[in-house]
Amino acid sequence: MKCEQIAELLPDYLQGSLGLDQQHGVEAHLQQCADCSGEVTVWKKLSLLPAEQPSPASRARFEVMLQAFQAGRSSQPASVSRWRQRASAWNVFHWLRSPLGAIAWSAALLVIGVYVGLHVSGSKSHMQDLAAMQSELTTIKQLMVLSMLQQQSASSRLEGVSWSTRDPQLNPQVLSALLHTLRYDPSVDVRLAALDALSRHGRQPQVHKGILDSLQEQQSPLIQMALIDLLLEWREPDAAQRLQALQQIPNLNPIVRQRAEWARSKLN
Amino acid sequence: MTLALDEDLMLQVRDGAGEMLGVLFDRYQTPLFNFYSKLTGDRALSEDLVQEVFLRILKYRQSYRPGTPFRAWVYQIARNARIDHFRKFPPQSTLEPEMLSAVVPTDSAQAHEEVELLQRALQQLPEEKREILLLYRFQELKYEEIASLLGCELNTVKTRIHRALQELRKAFHQLAGGTVLKKDEAAAAEKFSSPRRSP
Repeated sequence: MKCEQIAELLPDYLQGSLGLDQQHGVEAHLQQCADCSGEVTVWKKLSLLPAEQPSPASRARFEVMLQAFQAGRSSQPASVSRWRQRASAWNVFHWLRSPLGAIAWSAALLVIGVYVGLHVSGSKSHMQDLAAMQSELTTIKQLMVLSMLQQQSASSRLEGVSWSTRDPQLNPQVLSALLHTLRYDPSVDVRLAALDALSRHGRQPQVHKGILDSLQEQQSPLIQMALIDLLLEWREPDAAQRLQALQQIPNLNPIVRQRAEWARSKLN
Repeated sequence: MTLALDEDLMLQVRDGAGEMLGVLFDRYQTPLFNFYSKLTGDRALSEDLVQEVFLRILKYRQSYRPGTPFRAWVYQIARNARIDHFRKFPPQSTLEPEMLSAVVPTDSAQAHEEVELLQRALQQLPEEKREILLLYRFQELKYEEIASLLGCELNTVKTRIHRALQELRKAFHQLAGGTVLKKDEAAAAEKFSSPRRSP
């Protein structure tokens, strides 16, 4: 056997899971090949590496995080049903009959209309028409997002937020609706998703400021933590002040306080 | 009473029993911590990342599908958590040896030296090689699971493990100045004990 053949067999050999024939083959090769037998030696030596133990504080930290998470979600409807609801065929039918569905239908019809129109009329200003259709579509999509963000059910609003992430550019109306969602939506899930969606547009000054300003108003530890991470990620010049202001909030969740402390240490 | 399967516990967590995550935490915090600490050489960071993994499990619990091996799922999350962390905070310098554990479970001076050399050799490997070695050697993942984790073919996994070992051998050899290892290799060539993985 050659070294190349050993390459595929060696991992199994090391685990002791080769058949007897192959095992003998590998061993015969190892007798002659210092490089390959050196690998076996190093493999065995890996068992010398000590198994390390996390510090005892780790379990406590986990407990706090779990409690914070559950406290943050206690006002939530069970989300299992949300998924079941989404999957049911009846729901799709129902959705199509809703105002939202109506918008979707019109969008689909518009696409068909423009497509047919393009083919019937020949293609003089083909590119122009296409561009017009594109922009029309984008507008409609964004209208859908706006309408979905107004829905009563959290799952529709969540869907609205995730729709908004399909467009690289969002119009100011949608952005400000998302900012409103980030601040006032009753569901933590929706607010978190809005934050994710908005952070993609963090370069725009108005969005940037809106996100950062919401830090003082957020009650949910999950969002506070996500915002702290964002502060770090963006390397905000006034991050230290913002974190300090956050830490001064009485009754701040201990794990959030810890996270803010950690973030401040990272800033230096 | 038999132990509940990880997968069943995770399904309970998914369906709202968040407190069951504690059992999974107790089972996985040490392996995950070891995965991270051997990968990064940084204890504090490793603890942060372990917390992040469990926070993500809660956040993404709805995406857990019945029948998915929990271990593979959780290492997928662990891998992403680390990748995201280093995207946000690119490592500034190479690892300081003092960040590594000073705990050595033996009093023999030679073993102590070997552990240190081995740790340093491991840290010298490119990250992806170190990772695959750790996943295979210490995290008890199957080839199939590693393959789907890394998005590659089964045979590629085997070849990559072999290459990582090759490189580890070279790094270790260099660090040891060619003395320690040669002696061991001679011994290994003489007698092959059963090379099974220690439990």
